[in-house]
Amino acid sequence: MKGKLEPSERQRLIEEGKNLKEGLVALEEDLLKLTDELQQEAQCIPNMTHPDVPIGGEDCSVTRKKVGSPPQFSFQIKDHLQLGKELDLFEFDAAAEVSGSKFYYLKNEAVMLEMGLINWTLSEVMKKGFIPLTTPEIVRSSVVEKCGFQPRGANTQVYSIVGSDQCLIGTAEIPVGGIHMDSILAESLLPLKYAAFSHCFRTEAGAAGAATRGLYRVHQFSKVEMFVLCRPEESDLYHEELIKIEEDLFSSLGLHFKTLDMASGDLGAPAYRKFDVEAWMPGLERFGEISSASNCTDYQSRRLGIRYRPSEPSSASPKKGKANLAPPRFVHTLNATACAVPRMIVCLLENYQQEDGSVTIPEPLRPFMGGLEIIAPKSR
Amino acid sequence: MGLQSCIGGTTLQTLKLASIPTLSSSRLVSRPVQLKALTLDFFLLSPHGRSRRSPFPLLARALSAPAIAFQTETPPEEKVVKPQWKAAIDFKWIRENKEAIAVNIRNRNSNANLEAVIELYDKMSNLQKEVERLRGERNAVANKMKGKLEPSERQRLIEEGKNLKEGLVALEEDLLKLTDELQQEAQCIPNMTHPDVPIGGEDCSVTRKKVGSPPQFSFQIKDHLQLGKELDLFEFDAAAEVSGSKFYYLKNEAVMLEMGLINWTLSEVMKKGFIPLTTPEIVRSSVVEKCGFQPRGANTQVYSIVGSDQCLIGTAEIPVGGIHMDSILAESLLPLKYAAFSHCFRTEAGAAGAATRGLYRVHQFSKVEMFVLCRPEESDLYHEELIKIEEDLFSSLGLHFKTLDMASGDLGAPAYRKFDVEAWMPGLERFGEISSASNCTDYQSRRLGIRYRPSEPSSASPKKGKANLAPPRFVHTLNATACAVPRMIVCLLENYQQEDGSVTIPEPLRPFMGGLEIIAPKSR
Repeated sequence: MKGKLEPSERQRLIEEGKNLKEGLVALEEDLLKLTDELQQEAQCIPNMTHPDVPIGGEDCSVTRKKVGSPPQFSFQIKDHLQLGKELDLFEFDAAAEVSGSKFYYLKNEAVMLEMGLINWTLSEVMKKGFIPLTTPEIVRSSVVEKCGFQPRGANTQVYSIVGSDQCLIGTAEIPVGGIHMDSILAESLLPLKYAAFSHCFRTEAGAAGAATRGLYRVHQFSKVEMFVLCRPEESDLYHEELIKIEEDLFSSLGLHFKTLDMASGDLGAPAYRKFDVEAWMPGLERFGEISSASNCTDYQSRRLGIRYRPSEPSSASPKKGKANLAPPRFVHTLNATACAVPRMIVCLLENYQQEDGSVTIPEPLRPFMGGLEIIAPKSR
Repeated sequence: MGLQSCIGGTTLQTLKLASIPTLSSSRLVSRPVQLKALTLDFFLLSPHGRSRRSPFPLLARALSAPAIAFQTETPPEEKVVKPQWKAAIDFKWIRENKEAIAVNIRNRNSNANLEAVIELYDKMSNLQKEVERLRGERNAVANKMKGKLEPSERQRLIEEGKNLKEGLVALEEDLLKLTDELQQEAQCIPNMTHPDVPIGGEDCSVTRKKVGSPPQFSFQIKDHLQLGKELDLFEFDAAAEVSGSKFYYLKNEAVMLEMGLINWTLSEVMKKGFIPLTTPEIVRSSVVEKCGFQPRGANTQVYSIVGSDQCLIGTAEIPVGGIHMDSILAESLLPLKYAAFSHCFRTEAGAAGAATRGLYRVHQFSKVEMFVLCRPEESDLYHEELIKIEEDLFSSLGLHFKTLDMASGDLGAPAYRKFDVEAWMPGLERFGEISSASNCTDYQSRRLGIRYRPSEPSSASPKKGKANLAPPRFVHTLNATACAVPRMIVCLLENYQQEDGSVTIPEPLRPFMGGLEIIAPKSR
């Protein structure tokens, strides 16, 4: 229509243009809807699975490693609840009144144990090059979703805040994953290794059964979480590094535990591969999960928008500029529990109890507890 | 090393919470940071307005609108709703001391309506007498009907009985409504005030003590935000994306500083007989109210949880106050001294102005809070003890600060007396509040239902039993900040900065930070 035209020809073209425009608007609307629907469906597709992962349900998980052996007791042992009561370490009843069930106060040496565990754990992983962090515990729900959780699903684990799009974190994995959202990192920064200390909040909705006594399953707890961002080629390597760090930590504390390669039916959507550590809890007379290490490959990074710029070796042409820059690639992310305090307290109390009702503190923790060697019954 | 607990009066021995050992080979990786131009906004202290300096405006806000114990907010028509809980108010005492109470309400700029309370109380008393009288009559009629009667007489009595019963039901309903209304009004009345408290607004607060002096710098100093940026200690921008404004990550040595401050503080107050605690950070909203805060008021400081009656705590004072809710403690347990470590969450709604940069005003922070339950005669004593502990802590860290006796217009409803500590923050070029110590006397305990049984010396009669038990009395409660981490970090960074951009760690904290002596700029 830019050229010179007969009026009738112009009119015909105007009509044609209008029809085309209307048709286009309708199609573009359809395209948008379709794109959204496609996105929604596609985002449900779980991550791929490492070839070595056992296929099947929970009972198909394979034991990779077993460390230590169950302690032998020459006396009638107690569970952590009874030990805690007798040593005046917890308050559950008052917490039920003040907050509700599955809440608790730690008292006396249990507070020192929590501080000691956190400080020791942070110290150990810092030696291995992890950057210590504390994080927000209130985050936007979109960040929770990008990490692969569902804040508003039925039986959600996530507490939401009234009057906002914010939630409480269930793990520091979420705020740490969010640090580099929508960024392109220089390759030289990788691997980026964080050790984040935070409180974690979980509704535990739908958590039925008897394994909810005492500290085993609670709504609020302290945790040190390791989080790694790396190049895709290296994520398997760092997964092995993370589980090794965990195993070393738990060995140092003298715990008896096994490491499991979790079966395909037991992986969350983000996890390409997941190793769980279960420690022997004599009072519960079974193994209980104390830690989990997941390789999420690019599942989270595709949602959080975390990429890196590979630094290509310079080609024959010395010309500078965009032509020599490799396109950004998604990083791989991994997360692993360095220390989940309540379950560690269960382990330490139950494994290190003495006949007289006292509890010995494992050596590595003592310098972080003012040299305290034993939690003894108090005289009244 | 043996330990004895604080229960029953014995004290925990000195325990030095040791720390992260020296980092020999940690590689502190820093992320490339873009230094934006910084403008230093100065918060000018306005002598006439109510400035939002306080990090604990909860109490100040509780002053301006009454603490409501009821489930719904009171609509303009003053509708009275069934209360979830009731403070144990001494109405007779109010009546007997109404002049003093009226003066107190005026001095505190409180909205409480004393006249309404007295009026309602009188009405209620009269109605109560009427109800009792009617009950007496009804009983008399019932008794008469037991005997042998003429049918017509019996019929008449039945009618009379029925009328009395209906009248009684109506009166009892009225009495109930009146009682609830009285309770609602009376709970708005703020605590009485210590005679030494200066009367007036914020500017009338009196300086009790001044310690140290502002450090002299021979170079251009930086504020904590700039120091933190250059030393790679904080992340504010990422936190704004992930969570919103006034959130932050601590990184590297700032994490060690936080852990060091908490561990050192706990260690110090444990030496003084405080029982260490960690607490739930989610609590029922009724507990928040009983402590004198308003979870659901306009501009509330309190975050609420969707789908429940729970909230996030703004201070460990709340869950610790709740531990002994609805209890009668043995006198031998008092004083009960707790040092509670928790994270605290505050909406900071309505916190306007420039003093919101960086770590000065944030939504989430770590705090060690001291909480004391004691006999009434001793609360003044423990208030002095608490402020002394705080002053000793801050002196040990080499801070320059002043302690203020807060004026009547600046006390929250629960506080009988409040001491604030303001420390010199060179980067902000002013004093900033780092701690607050309140004596709440029986305001909180009457709401939380915390009493103790005085152990009377045995009288002449050796007979055992209830006759010799003195009636339970309400304890007094006190709370005081031992360490509010972000503000301490502001103080330490700004006061201990060196010309080369590094920051020295005060001696007492070093053993709790693996011996770390200095936070130095990192090589890239």
